[in-house]
Amino acid sequence: MDKINKLLAEQRALEAQFNSRRHFLKDCTLGLGGLALGSFLNSCSNGSPKIPAYTADRSLNPMAAMPAPYLPKVKSVIYLHMVGAPSQLELFDYKPELAKLHNKPCPPSLLDSKKFAFIQGVPNMLGPQATFKQQGETGNWVSNHLPHFKKIIDEVAFLKAVHTDQFNHGPAQMLMHTGSPRNGRPSIGSWVTYGLGSENNNLPGFVVLTSGGTPDAGKSVWGSGFLPSVYQGVQCRSKGDPVLYLKDPKGVSRNLKKKVLESINDINLKEYQKFGDPEVLTRINQYEMAYRMQVSVPKVMDIDKEPDDIKEMYGVQPGKEAFANNCLLARKMVEQGVRFVQLYDWGWDSHGASPGEALDSGFLRKCKETDRPIAALILDLKQRGLLDETLIVWGGEFGRTPMWENRLGIQNSPGRDHQGDAFTMWMAGGGIKKGAVHGKTDEIGYSGIEGRVSVHDIQATILHLLGFDHEQFTYDFQGRPFRLTDVEGNVINEILA
Amino acid sequence: MTILKMQKEIRILMILGMIFTFGISLFFVLKPNHQVDFATQVKPILNKHCISCHGGVKKNAGFSVLFESEALGVTESGKPAIIRGSASKSELIQRLHHSDPELRMPYQKPALSDEEIKILTDWIDQGAKWGTHWAYLPVEKTALPEGATVFKENDFINNPIDRFIAARMQEKNLLPNTPSPKNIIARRLAFDITGLPPDPNLFQSFVSGEINYENYVDSLFMDSAFGEKWASWWLDLARYADTMGFEKDPGRTIWHYRDWVIKALNRDLPYDQFTIEQLAGDLLPDPSVDQLIATAFHRNTMNNDEGGTDDEEYRVAAVIDRVNTTFDVWQSTTMSCVQCHGHPYDPFKHKEYYNVMAFFNNTSDEDIPDESPNLIDYKPEESKKINSVLEWVSTHGDVKKQKLFKDFIFFKEPNYAAHHFKVIDHAFVSGPNFGLRKGGAVFIKNVNPLGHQKLYLKYVGHSNRSSLVFRKNGINGEIIGKFKISKKGKNFYGDPQGQIITSIDISKETEAFDLYVQLETQDDTVKREHVKVHWIAFMPELPGKGKLGYEYVSNNLDKVLNLRGDLTPVIFENPDHMKRKTHVFDRGNWMVKMEEVQPGGPQMLNPWKERWENNRLGFAQWLVDEKNPLTSRTLVNRVWHQIFGKGLVSTLEDMGTMADPPSHPGLLDWLSYEMMHSMNWSLKTLIKKMVMSATYRQSSMVSQEKLAVDANNTFYARGPRLRLTAEEIRDQALYVSGLLSDKMYGPGVMPPQPDGIWEHKYLGNLWKTSEGEDRYRRGIYTYLKRTSPYPSMITFDAGSREICLVKRSPTNTPLQALVTMNDPVYLEAAMNLAKAHQDQESKTAIIEMYQKATYRKADEDKLQSLLSLYEEAHSAFEKDPDQLDDFFGMDQLTDIKTASLAIIANAIMNLDEFLTHG
Repeated sequence: MDKINKLLAEQRALEAQFNSRRHFLKDCTLGLGGLALGSFLNSCSNGSPKIPAYTADRSLNPMAAMPAPYLPKVKSVIYLHMVGAPSQLELFDYKPELAKLHNKPCPPSLLDSKKFAFIQGVPNMLGPQATFKQQGETGNWVSNHLPHFKKIIDEVAFLKAVHTDQFNHGPAQMLMHTGSPRNGRPSIGSWVTYGLGSENNNLPGFVVLTSGGTPDAGKSVWGSGFLPSVYQGVQCRSKGDPVLYLKDPKGVSRNLKKKVLESINDINLKEYQKFGDPEVLTRINQYEMAYRMQVSVPKVMDIDKEPDDIKEMYGVQPGKEAFANNCLLARKMVEQGVRFVQLYDWGWDSHGASPGEALDSGFLRKCKETDRPIAALILDLKQRGLLDETLIVWGGEFGRTPMWENRLGIQNSPGRDHQGDAFTMWMAGGGIKKGAVHGKTDEIGYSGIEGRVSVHDIQATILHLLGFDHEQFTYDFQGRPFRLTDVEGNVINEILA
Repeated sequence: MTILKMQKEIRILMILGMIFTFGISLFFVLKPNHQVDFATQVKPILNKHCISCHGGVKKNAGFSVLFESEALGVTESGKPAIIRGSASKSELIQRLHHSDPELRMPYQKPALSDEEIKILTDWIDQGAKWGTHWAYLPVEKTALPEGATVFKENDFINNPIDRFIAARMQEKNLLPNTPSPKNIIARRLAFDITGLPPDPNLFQSFVSGEINYENYVDSLFMDSAFGEKWASWWLDLARYADTMGFEKDPGRTIWHYRDWVIKALNRDLPYDQFTIEQLAGDLLPDPSVDQLIATAFHRNTMNNDEGGTDDEEYRVAAVIDRVNTTFDVWQSTTMSCVQCHGHPYDPFKHKEYYNVMAFFNNTSDEDIPDESPNLIDYKPEESKKINSVLEWVSTHGDVKKQKLFKDFIFFKEPNYAAHHFKVIDHAFVSGPNFGLRKGGAVFIKNVNPLGHQKLYLKYVGHSNRSSLVFRKNGINGEIIGKFKISKKGKNFYGDPQGQIITSIDISKETEAFDLYVQLETQDDTVKREHVKVHWIAFMPELPGKGKLGYEYVSNNLDKVLNLRGDLTPVIFENPDHMKRKTHVFDRGNWMVKMEEVQPGGPQMLNPWKERWENNRLGFAQWLVDEKNPLTSRTLVNRVWHQIFGKGLVSTLEDMGTMADPPSHPGLLDWLSYEMMHSMNWSLKTLIKKMVMSATYRQSSMVSQEKLAVDANNTFYARGPRLRLTAEEIRDQALYVSGLLSDKMYGPGVMPPQPDGIWEHKYLGNLWKTSEGEDRYRRGIYTYLKRTSPYPSMITFDAGSREICLVKRSPTNTPLQALVTMNDPVYLEAAMNLAKAHQDQESKTAIIEMYQKATYRKADEDKLQSLLSLYEEAHSAFEKDPDQLDDFFGMDQLTDIKTASLAIIANAIMNLDEFLTHG
């Protein structure tokens, strides 16, 4: 293997030399300044910057860690997506005025020129199905359904007036994670791992953990779109192989596998010596990584070995697919240098059409399942000194109406329809202004009246904290430079420290 | 020497080199009387520095450099910025030098270099002659370059392709590689033509010299595996998949289209015809079923059935996708840019997008969950019944009626779908139907029966004592017909084909009116809707009433309308009275409609010919007209990419002004011209031309020296060595282990995949592992669910087919290694290969397995490596025989030798020589 490593190093040096020269000649003949300034995103090519300087490392390992173009505030992201869109009116957006309107017909002015997914005709209003208290030093509001949240409320910056133009699950989830409601664009985790690579090459750089089911939009929400497929999210599963095809076949011991791998790499090296194709060296490198990944992934996925007090803190359910387990896994992963950990927790679509999705039943269960682990995650990161270099994002794909849903004209259990005009998200961790509240909704939580932020603003802010300018971070596809934030998005400075 | 110092020296050397090159180029640029060329010298500067503020998107100060008329026209200042023949008087040049940073251009950006300013100055002084980007000029016949004799001496010139390649190599002082050994080139050819390793007998006849190279190539083209291989390429472009794409991502049956592509490629349907049938097969005179299936090309757009979504929004999204895809596939043009604004740097106007959209905006599909219109795959006896009706109509009716009946039987079109109706009371419009409860009523605006007196409806009834009353222009308006409901049919979501199609007589209406539908009932037993209606349609009466046999045929008509079978979504053009209007969307937003537009092709490209109808068919003919500059170049470039791993224009998706220039412009044009003329658009001929070249046949070995000079093989001084595609890697493993089925066509199959991949809350896990030979079909037949594609294919860079994919980007990742080492599909293949050799002496077995898999003889050192692995495995199993109980998860006891051989087979299937095509 020494020989292989030596060859790999030589190849890397050769390519580095070659690439920098090629880059220099091809892109910079007209602007000598670009090279000295260094930042790959600001290099002298116009409009659609290529990523030239580090192609050498990238050709051997497409996940090689790369410096961010600007000073980053965080190294990793843990994104907690509550699939189905949790009701802001029962969690963070306290609306006493709405209580007064409870079960009264909705004023027609609120229905004019509005489109709903399921509400038809004139629905009734639905008062908050929760009580609220101010908590922590900041005195921010939180509902009685989240009793553990007070422990972390001062770490969190709230966005109370997020809006989206999509009010169906699939497209809204796509917009939230890929910047476009239509399928086909890369997800934010793909963008980030494409731009930054990963610190730990023995684990996937972009990990997806689900509980309760797959998001409505399917695996496309963590797809790599037009980016190379290596940047798509890798789902680490609680059942079966944690990563597909990770486990050695039956009858093949670790030791024998090692021999197999050595033999493959040995023959591939001979092939390289004969044909001289550098791609063979890359393959050798990838096989070594695969072998290491087979050990490191199960290790990181094993929560049994965690101390009891930690398990207790998160409320894990070993052996099951649970949000609590996923929160603990998320911590373990960022600790190990995984760049982007995406959690999806399914079951927040509180229409009220059946008890499972009613605000007085299924919704309460979801609150209970997530409240403690989320508090634990933030406290655990904090006690390990990781909170400052990690960004935690919490939210759904849209918000819920202050009206009581009346599907096909019938009012069922308490539930709310989809709405995109105003909903709450929060962020915590490195670079975030602790305890901040940005944005305000009207008296019934129907629309934002101050500090409205869009989905693209959220994305721009996440990228900013990782050290990207979202307007410059582009990828050329079908002849045009694409951005995660499309042609929109502003960094939300109000919640930055 | 320290590294730092070394780097410094390298940098100094490089800068010196630069200064030298720069000096040379300055000399050329500055030398007197040099005629500046717009396309290659001026346009790149304008694109780079000016066009983002003065182009198709922004037109600051009323100045744009996109079109000649705009660049030379009067700006907001009241005078032109460019004065022909006088750079010094031209504001454009003055602004480049200006001392005030507020006025100096580019605004707040670094100034242009002296060299650039000099080019622009000379250009204006020489008259500011405008030019056309190379890719927008018609394809002309190109002369072959004369190459140096050294190439002929090296036996390199085999066909005209090599003349172009040699000329460029000569410029770079490169010499070609020697030809690949026969076994290597035989395998490369087989993969490039059929996507499979060569048939061992055919391989043997070629290697032994029994047949020559060209015979070998021709034999490969004869194999129907050709169509299966090249269909992968086309289906990526066509975004073909077996599901609808959004949210639940339910299944769709559109595999007849996939099979059509395979067959069309195999019979070498000329590319112009191939194009016309897919874009406008329905508009051809009396189209065949095949030509209708071909139109499913544009029904591969996604469909959104999520509850509460707006069908019109997703219908428009599909139409937009069709426009974008058409330009991506045929024109290497990023038309999607023009959806929201004028093209930032290519000469396409915002409005032109909608002119093109108008061609595509009049099809009858409307994002309905049953994906209508669908073509039913009728059984022969059913076709007989259909023909009895059609023949009757042709005997007793006119041509117009014939078409009406044919369309109605085949497509159930034209109809008015439920989602166009509005609720008045006690009713709902949801998903594919409207439902009426007691006292319920709905209405639809502006329907026109054209005097036809049959009203058809597709419905499901939940009551036997209710009627639908059809009224004109109001809830109390004149009754035009009444329909007595009966409990019949099945609910849509349980059975999308389970509703009943039936008809009633109505009064004669020749003008458009608003139609009101009311429920009349005495029935209190039904709590919810009494009836659900999917669509209504107006048809003339069956002609020939009173003639002998009328009752029989009329009866047959009712029957054939209710026949069921495999559906293929196809394209159907709305009749004139139901034509949609197309508007420009303000900034691409479909909700904000601006001026109405008429169909038309982009002005910059080829002119429209009088004889073409102004519809989709005409548009398709315009696209494949020999004067269209982009269609043939695009095709040639992409086929070249398939064979050589990269395009002659490296930006495969774009040939616009921002595209990389072609590495071999003459070759691109020569092939494009010949493709349209001497090759008559034959894809097989084009591919053959490429693989017959000496360029293709070179060995792919590369020395460090060559790598340093031409790392990307831009000059083709060595043969291509490509990693096999996702489908090829899988097919090959099955082929060499003797498992691959050669069964063609039919619904997508579900080979084994890990549990839990297809989890959807509403759908459950619907992956049903195929039985028998369907487990071992070629990858092209694997069921493709867009939101959860077959995992091992995705890992090897196949797409999810949500949108048109021009180019797969090949990656090399650890997850790929895990697939070929551990995926049960590959384990089964390894085991099968081992079993075929278990009776041989172990060394012989290993030699033969290696040879069977790679079509090479194992080098001695490689063989040693495999032999020692065999020994390791053997002794491991001897020590721990328990390992063999369920070895490789095969559910059976395996003997030590077979298991050890399977380990070797598994290793062989992970070798670079196995995963690449040599």
